[in-house]
Amino acid sequence: MRALLEWFNVPSTDRKRRGVSPWTYISLSIFAFLSVFPLYWLFVVASNSNEEISKIPPSLVPGKNFLKQLAAVNEAVPLGRALINTTLVSLAVAVFQVFFCTMAGYAYAKLAFPGKKSSLVVIIGTMMLPAQLGIVVLYLMMANYLNWINDFKALVVPAMVGAFGVFWMRQIIDAQVPNEIIEAAKIDGGKNFRIYRSVVVPIIMPSALVLGLFSFLGTWNDFLWPSLVLNDPNRFTVQVAVNQLNGTYTIDYALKMCGAFMATLPLLVLFIFVGKRLVTGIMDGAVKG
Amino acid sequence: MANVRIKKYWVGIISAAVLASTIALPASQAASKVTLSIWTYGNVLDPVLVAKYEKSHPNIKIQAKKNDLDGSAQSLRYALPSTAVPDIAAIEISYMGEFRNYTQYFTDLNEMTPSASTIKGNFLGWRWNQMVADTGQTLGIPTDVGGLAVAYRTDLFKKAGLPTDPTKVGELWPTWEKYIETGKKYVASQKGKAFIDIAQTIYTAVVNQGDQKYYDSKSNLIYNTNPNIQAAFNYTAAASQAKLGTNVAQYSPDWNVGLNKGLYATVLAPAWMLQYIKQYAPKTKGLWNIADLPGKAGNQGGSALSIPSRAQHQDEAWEFIRWYTSAEQQKYSFINTLTFPTITALYSDPAVGGLKDKFFNNAQVGKIYSASVNEVKPFVLGKKDRLIDSTIGQALSRVQLGKQLPQAAWTQAISDITRAIG
Amino acid sequence: MSITRKKKSLDPKHIDDKWGLAYVSPFFLIFGAFGLIPIVFTVYVSFFSWDPLAGHDFTGLQNFRWLFTDPYFYIAVRNTFSIFLISFVPQTILALVIAVKLANPKLKFKVFWRTVLLVPWVTSILSVAIIFSQIFGQDYGMVNVAMHYLGLSHVGIGPINWVGQTIPSHIAIASMIIYRNLGYASLIYLSSILSIPRDLYESAELDGASKRQQFFYVTIPQLKNTLIFMLIVGTIGGLQTFLEPLTYGGVQGGDSRQFSTLALYLYEQIIINNKFGYAAAIGVAITMITIVISGLNYVVTKRLSGGES
Repeated sequence: MRALLEWFNVPSTDRKRRGVSPWTYISLSIFAFLSVFPLYWLFVVASNSNEEISKIPPSLVPGKNFLKQLAAVNEAVPLGRALINTTLVSLAVAVFQVFFCTMAGYAYAKLAFPGKKSSLVVIIGTMMLPAQLGIVVLYLMMANYLNWINDFKALVVPAMVGAFGVFWMRQIIDAQVPNEIIEAAKIDGGKNFRIYRSVVVPIIMPSALVLGLFSFLGTWNDFLWPSLVLNDPNRFTVQVAVNQLNGTYTIDYALKMCGAFMATLPLLVLFIFVGKRLVTGIMDGAVKG
Repeated sequence: MANVRIKKYWVGIISAAVLASTIALPASQAASKVTLSIWTYGNVLDPVLVAKYEKSHPNIKIQAKKNDLDGSAQSLRYALPSTAVPDIAAIEISYMGEFRNYTQYFTDLNEMTPSASTIKGNFLGWRWNQMVADTGQTLGIPTDVGGLAVAYRTDLFKKAGLPTDPTKVGELWPTWEKYIETGKKYVASQKGKAFIDIAQTIYTAVVNQGDQKYYDSKSNLIYNTNPNIQAAFNYTAAASQAKLGTNVAQYSPDWNVGLNKGLYATVLAPAWMLQYIKQYAPKTKGLWNIADLPGKAGNQGGSALSIPSRAQHQDEAWEFIRWYTSAEQQKYSFINTLTFPTITALYSDPAVGGLKDKFFNNAQVGKIYSASVNEVKPFVLGKKDRLIDSTIGQALSRVQLGKQLPQAAWTQAISDITRAIG
Repeated sequence: MSITRKKKSLDPKHIDDKWGLAYVSPFFLIFGAFGLIPIVFTVYVSFFSWDPLAGHDFTGLQNFRWLFTDPYFYIAVRNTFSIFLISFVPQTILALVIAVKLANPKLKFKVFWRTVLLVPWVTSILSVAIIFSQIFGQDYGMVNVAMHYLGLSHVGIGPINWVGQTIPSHIAIASMIIYRNLGYASLIYLSSILSIPRDLYESAELDGASKRQQFFYVTIPQLKNTLIFMLIVGTIGGLQTFLEPLTYGGVQGGDSRQFSTLALYLYEQIIINNKFGYAAAIGVAITMITIVISGLNYVVTKRLSGGES
């Protein structure tokens, strides 16, 4: 009974209690375990031979084959190159997204311009169309008119702006930059771009960086579009590279999981460094009660 | 404040540098090298052979891009009208029907030098014809052929009182009726075990034994009237209803486990599947043998290499294709990965046609598979082959799962196909 | 808001106009080229029968007429909504539970718990799909094996076919969706919970409310806006569910289309049926549905919350 009530543990009353009940830690541990287990499982499969996967009960202990599989993956696709490519492309997209969406978000939040309301509606509308259609048309554009096939421009340029990005920044700027500060800066004789650069940007920088992280992660994990557009194995992004590990009708699980694990590992490393920032950023961007 | 400003400038500089570098990345190697781009899927291109070719042709660099089967066909469809085509495109048997008549988008290999007609005689006739347009142009060269035979577990057969010698086993089922009968006897005596891994594989086997598939020689749709298709469907449905097969998906983790545990007494296996069994169920070595398929003729799978008409390096591409599909390379592929060759001379080569595989109890793999591919009759491949295959496959799965009776499933399949094609 | 009147000569409104456009125009340019044009072209294509190799013919409203009489379209609608409900409701409940726990000020290792929850979100969908296919395998998947060990087979609940049966396949796919989104949702709710003023709880406690009552009568009402936001965003995302069923069971959504969602059905038209025009029509239909549902969501929840903004 007590445990059940613990589920509805409410913050402020805890001051009276001795601390946090063990149930909280137990259930959080379960969630943490479940969150991490699939990655662990990837590693287990990647480090065992294919025969191991076919065993019942499945072995839950990593084997010794990881480095061997890694070598096999590297032989099949230029993995290191793919990781570098993906990092560059994701970084570029992140930087440009932050740059353009912050500016546009600022305009929507604080400035006036003709067509402001209707363009916002259009942008929202575009979020509602499934992406798979857009991909086909974009490909036709790239192949027939722009000649950007196999070029990183095809990955970076269309992704430089996004409806979600502008929305997010608009909301952030709206919430975090009170009009008074802008007015005060104007009175101090500030011109528009100066205000933007020295007043607005510093305030919203943490959230803008979070948008960058979102973009980075999204681009890193994207595989439909890059696999359509990139032809040269030396230009593959990491998801496309992992996709090369399929057999015609069959799947070499150990090989593929090894590739998938390596494709996720850099993100985990990144996470260790910026995870905290990502968390606070997500929380800052949430709609306040 | 200043900190953030500096940061922002750095960000700006870095991003500019990044963009510059991504745009400026060199498109290809030094100008003297020719880069052949190949779009393929799965294991059509053996990386060892590719490396070998690059070594002996130092001015050629090969760039292979792999996709999955359907994805690869889709990419091709949308790229063919543009210049963003690869120099070589691999096409799988389910899609040959769709692509083989697009003479405006593929180069006629008969017009290349040397003409394709000079090597035509080396190849298995019906496989060669699968990439020949109705108006006679040859648009692709076949790489391998699946062939089909029955891989059976000698230990399980022995337990059920069935013969284990491959010739005797082959005599158990000269027809599909007899195969199903044997299966029924097997499951009756061996409770809980399946006779075949997946009943739906029977459909593909029987379909490929006919002299017509879904289209007639005038490219009319005949899938719903072709008696062989109906027979294929009925045999498969009968096998499902007699509970001869299980519900696993082929090549799924569950299927792998089943192989290892000996849950399936027989598996209809194209040559390349034997390699897969060796890799994923190594502990079952010596427990298998191979017998003829009911009706002997059989095939499952196979690919061809073609050159899109707007490709940039057609002569180099043609040279590679000729090399890759020649006897020496196909022999290598067979010996190493059991992908059965399409060069008929190899069938009498002791290393190929005479190959016996120790894993499969010294089964005469070469002999059995060459016999099976030689018996296959040529039939017309058409545009909607893949669609019809998939839809009928769905119907057969419904029967297997007990969701529908065969007649209802067939009727639904026909209406689905009609709607999808219309 | 009191603003001191600016000098007429500076004329802020017009300066704002000019600057506003300057800030927004790079966005518009790129968005127009790569975001808008594909959409306009797609709508254009929906009036054609379009094969990239065989050419295209104008067919007017034919694609849409087909759509209205296409039973598989309606099956896709049913599946999409079913998967959405099965994923959204448990996801929200679990996220709220986790958020409440994380909001506890005395909790140790706060940062660790919060970041570890995001790990599923960064794992690529392909990896998640492989793992979940194994977990939900019929004969040897972990779920069925666990059920067997728990003795459920003795009670008559045998191994479930998580791919072949409709609702089980929805559950499997929904669990993939929940798995990926739970961390993100928890953080959103956490943030809103943390901004609830303490005195609301204190006065409730003074009034004699139990912890459970406090949750339902203080926390939840204060989270109203967040819940509405998540519902709208979740619906839009849910209507476009595509990668999860694709990687789980293939383009056709199963032998009876048991998990063919709207976006997957669209994709099937492009890849297998080679009918780009029809796919475009489906895309237009999905957009319409999304607009209607989002509008409904907005109106209904606004009504319920008593007209607060």
